[in-house]
Amino acid sequence: MSLYRVFEGVGIAFASIWSNKVRASLTIMGIGIGVTVVIGMASAITGINRSVTEMLETAGPKTFFVVRYWSGGITISDGSDELSPWRRNPWMTVEEGEMLRNLPLIRDVTLQEGTSGPVSYESINLSSVSMAGFSPSWVFVTGGEIRAGRNFTQLEYAASARVAVINDKLAETLFPGLDPIGRRIKIFGQPFEVVGLHVEAASLFGGGGDSRLAMPHTTFTKVADYWKGWMDLVVMPIEDATVMEAQDQVISAMRSSRGLKPKDENNFAVVTQDRFLEMWDNVTQVFFLVMFALSGVALMVGGVGVVAIMLISVTERTREIGVRKALGATRREIMFQFLVEAATLTLVGGAIGLTVGALLAGGVRKFTPIPATIPLWSVALALFASIITGVFFGLYPAHRAAKLDPVEALRYE
Amino acid sequence: MPDCVIQTRELSREYQLGSEHIHALRDVSFAIRRNEYVVIMGPSGSGKSTLLNVIGCLDSPTGGEYWLNGQEVSRMGDLALARVRNREIGFVFQTFNLLPRATALHNVELPLVYGGHSARERRLRATEALARVGLADRMDHRPNELSGGQRQRVAIARALVSRPSILLADEPTGNLDSATSQEIMQVFHRLHADGQTIVLVTHELDIAAHAQRVVTLRDGRIASDERTRSAA
Repeated sequence: MSLYRVFEGVGIAFASIWSNKVRASLTIMGIGIGVTVVIGMASAITGINRSVTEMLETAGPKTFFVVRYWSGGITISDGSDELSPWRRNPWMTVEEGEMLRNLPLIRDVTLQEGTSGPVSYESINLSSVSMAGFSPSWVFVTGGEIRAGRNFTQLEYAASARVAVINDKLAETLFPGLDPIGRRIKIFGQPFEVVGLHVEAASLFGGGGDSRLAMPHTTFTKVADYWKGWMDLVVMPIEDATVMEAQDQVISAMRSSRGLKPKDENNFAVVTQDRFLEMWDNVTQVFFLVMFALSGVALMVGGVGVVAIMLISVTERTREIGVRKALGATRREIMFQFLVEAATLTLVGGAIGLTVGALLAGGVRKFTPIPATIPLWSVALALFASIITGVFFGLYPAHRAAKLDPVEALRYE
Repeated sequence: MPDCVIQTRELSREYQLGSEHIHALRDVSFAIRRNEYVVIMGPSGSGKSTLLNVIGCLDSPTGGEYWLNGQEVSRMGDLALARVRNREIGFVFQTFNLLPRATALHNVELPLVYGGHSARERRLRATEALARVGLADRMDHRPNELSGGQRQRVAIARALVSRPSILLADEPTGNLDSATSQEIMQVFHRLHADGQTIVLVTHELDIAAHAQRVVTLRDGRIASDERTRSAA
């Protein structure tokens, strides 16, 4: 029975949308934009999330980082050293990397230090290319593959040779259509030879992503202009060890090599992928907050439109309300009818927004490396939010309709 | 009087229209028995529409008592009044007041929707009511596909469908030509013959001639209350 009334309300809503196309579509648009934002952002973030996870997985699920300082996303300070708590922590050193590499549970350690700077080839000048200095084992530890040419050798590493491995994006920019191997480029004004072409496995930062290049860490420290003191150690445990065991061993080795007393805190940080994901979650939470705020504003704007269109609808149908009351409709039933109508209006907006959002997500997937996918919860949330908006903003007009005096309403011309 | 459908005692209705105080009904006391056919007449402003609205529970009196089927309606709240309108009253309006987008059948079903009847019962009873007014073959037509007389018959079917104890009609032929008016009056006549209690407001004498009893109002008071012909 009340289901019938829902259908009746939905039917009336569609009919009045149809007979007031411009008015209704303006209202619907507000809601639609809100929902588009929710769906678009949610799908993009889900996509980015997925590729971050994939990237971490290709780096080897057990690989972890030993770094000078880790803020864990948005943590500000633990209070001991005001706003720059990392100042207490000494830099990571090459020797510490060597030391860790020799631990029994550790298979390999790669030094990693990055910056960005100018790269040029003949007449092409790029002012800011991401680059990093690594140990020769970097490909093995960080993932991806050398697609053409070769990695730099141990010998080149020891000699700080001016050799670089560039990624496909950079090759495309510098030597479109040409074989990059053996070409001479300039990095920070210094002549380098391109010896290899690297392709990152994870899609987010590879493929259509940034241009980047890798060089021996020994060369990097000589040539590059970089922020000193932020070298990281990328540690890969042996297969038979768990991350926990390897981590414990690394921590105790670091502590004893740095001469920390038992009650001293670590003056370095071990960042596992869990920790990294945790930080990433914090970042996405901020994204989601922004997204909710934006779509909330859009829904509000749409909601004001709902109030306007519903008030008009109530006025236009004053007589009908009078008739319904004469036939025995209670206040609650009149109210319900108009709430259903308002909710239908916003639900249509939601459905349109959903479609546009889905198209947007499809576009993002097609034209960017982000594998945007629409999470089911966002669909549910968007539809729910649009219904709630309709009901909430429909309350006032519906209340006006419900409390109309039947005699007056029937007399209304 | 156990056989009374309607009984009023010193019923009054006052309005405040701006600074003006209007006495639409003054001390109206009368009774309507089951299966009576009553016409209420009077010049405009005499209070006949107000009386019909009060009898139809659309409006509440400001003084006096109104009993409908043994229930004191004048003391009821909004919700109870809606229920009474739904179950006890059938309204027929001058301008038909059908829902333009709904078919005849849906229009007739509407009171049953508010009465909480099942879909099957609604359909059954609405079909039956439309058949009673001779529109069994027009059930799926919308109001704009029907003539004025047909529309009014749909409205009568809608008023009948909840089997009300009283059928109230406010100038039901006011928007119809005389031939169609006669047709509609025939419908009322038949319904009365079937046992329906009818109260009809009009200002046309020939319409009033169909009734058994004519109540004339003037300035919110009953000026005369007389039987026209032998009871049917």
